[in-house]
Amino acid sequence: MPAFSLVRFTSRGLGRRPVRTTLTIIGLAALILTYVSVQSLVSTLEINVSGSVSSLGGEIDVWSKGTSFPLFSRVPVSYVNTVQIIPGVDLAAPVALAQMTVDNNQAVIAGVVPSELPRMLTYTMVAGTMITSNQSGILAIGKALATTVGKSSGQTLLLDGHNYSIVGVYQTNAWIDYSLIIPHSVAQELIGWVNQTSMIVVTTKDPRTVDTVIGQIRTLLPTADAFRTSEAPSKISPIFASLEAIGTDITIIVSLSAVLGITNSNLNNLRERMRTFAIFKATGASSSQIIRLVLYESLLIGILGTLLGLGISYVVLNIISIPVAETINVAIILVPSTFIYATLLAISVSLTAAIYPALRISRVRPQEVFRFG
Amino acid sequence: MDDAAILRTEGLTKTYGKGSGKTVALDNVNLKITRGKLLAVYGPSGSGKTTLLFLLGGLDKPTSGRIYFEGVEVSNMSERRLSKLRRNSFGFVFQNYNLVDELTVLENVMLTMIFEGKPDAERKDRAKELLRRVGITGKERRRPSQLSAGEQQRVAVARSVANRPELVFMDEPTGNLDQENSQQLMRMVADMVQGEGATCVVATHNLEVVNEAPSKVFLKSGRIVSS
Repeated sequence: MPAFSLVRFTSRGLGRRPVRTTLTIIGLAALILTYVSVQSLVSTLEINVSGSVSSLGGEIDVWSKGTSFPLFSRVPVSYVNTVQIIPGVDLAAPVALAQMTVDNNQAVIAGVVPSELPRMLTYTMVAGTMITSNQSGILAIGKALATTVGKSSGQTLLLDGHNYSIVGVYQTNAWIDYSLIIPHSVAQELIGWVNQTSMIVVTTKDPRTVDTVIGQIRTLLPTADAFRTSEAPSKISPIFASLEAIGTDITIIVSLSAVLGITNSNLNNLRERMRTFAIFKATGASSSQIIRLVLYESLLIGILGTLLGLGISYVVLNIISIPVAETINVAIILVPSTFIYATLLAISVSLTAAIYPALRISRVRPQEVFRFG
Repeated sequence: MDDAAILRTEGLTKTYGKGSGKTVALDNVNLKITRGKLLAVYGPSGSGKTTLLFLLGGLDKPTSGRIYFEGVEVSNMSERRLSKLRRNSFGFVFQNYNLVDELTVLENVMLTMIFEGKPDAERKDRAKELLRRVGITGKERRRPSQLSAGEQQRVAVARSVANRPELVFMDEPTGNLDQENSQQLMRMVADMVQGEGATCVVATHNLEVVNEAPSKVFLKSGRIVSS
């Protein structure tokens, strides 16, 4: 039986039941919206937060032991001197991180020792200069945050209720563009820390000695954890593993509900059309042709539901932004593979929900239907 | 093998239910249907006419006994082979027409040809030609429910011969028609069946149909009483 004829039959059958067809399509669209939303939220958080922990420069990070995110880490500043004297270490720089109010926005501030900044971070100045002294009341602002708060070099802004002059606007093309940099000592004062910092960024004289240096730091500082900077995102992986597991659970629950709902709808739909299928069988349709007919019908519904769902998801997620760990509002990142998986999911759900009804209707006995209705 | 017999049965029996609720619909029916002729199967209601037609047409399986179509046993055929037989070798006309109202009149006639996978142009031409022959012209795009009972039955007749079957089974084809329409239909059936070179088996109450049939079988309580 040519596929085109089947599709024509199918669309005719669906068109005769507009309410049921529309509800099934909307159900599939809702499934896609749920899947795309959950996956995109997880992806957005993962990309942004992973980026934030891996873009502070250096070769080795030293955090307090058991911490999964640098904002939660706290180590004594004295550790800097301990690390600095380890053979092979070129730089050991303290970085104080905290979330604060910048004008009316929330942002993460990074307190660094100005003289050590060029060795830690690769940046370009968009306007003005980078902070070069421990002077209080000055800061450099990332380009993205400057755009958000509408400020530029030479202007002032309110940081935690105090006026600060912006000496320059920098760009790194990383998370820190949504942040601002102040002298480390000033950050300690603002946060209220005495002799403490968030983390230590370490560079070595010879990259081949990184593992040796890490080993020595671990030995010398039992309450701290040292690891390659590139491994920082894996420190937060348990958080994302949990998020992904929750996302997967939600997808499974919603998909199963959709399969059961659509199966029930298909069964009722086919039961109403039992006579039609009995006629098909009596006039020579084979069981496999009837199965194909039902599956084509489901496929058509799946495609329509997918198109609607993808369209709605694209529009909805493009106008939504979420506050990520840096507390800036980030537009949801739409990963193309999420849309591909969503399409596969919706089509699979649609076809799965058609298998049992298709098998049942393919076994229709015309003589019984014609006699007993 | 009898070359003149297109279809024959041996001890064909069909029962429904079990134990005390068992009903014998057909009891040891032995029948030969001669190629190219119209056979009328008649008898009172509940005599087993429809059951016999459904069994002969491969729509149902006998409880015991055998059916041979052109010397090949069909009573034990797989569902796949039976559907091919229904598609290519058999045609059916039912009392309630059994047209698909989701489809147009033209598509209803094309149905068996669609299942057979014939090209669109070929099946359209054939369906239009058959509709012209049964006197349904200009109504090809209508739904069956928009036609009169007589017209619907004529569409059903056109559908039954669309794939040039060797055997056409008709179950009370005039059951829902008045006398004039019945006569018209049976004349048309005779022309069509003859024109297509098919053999026709008609289950009917209509004595006019029975009288005009060259061969007939009288069924009572599932048994052939006379033939």
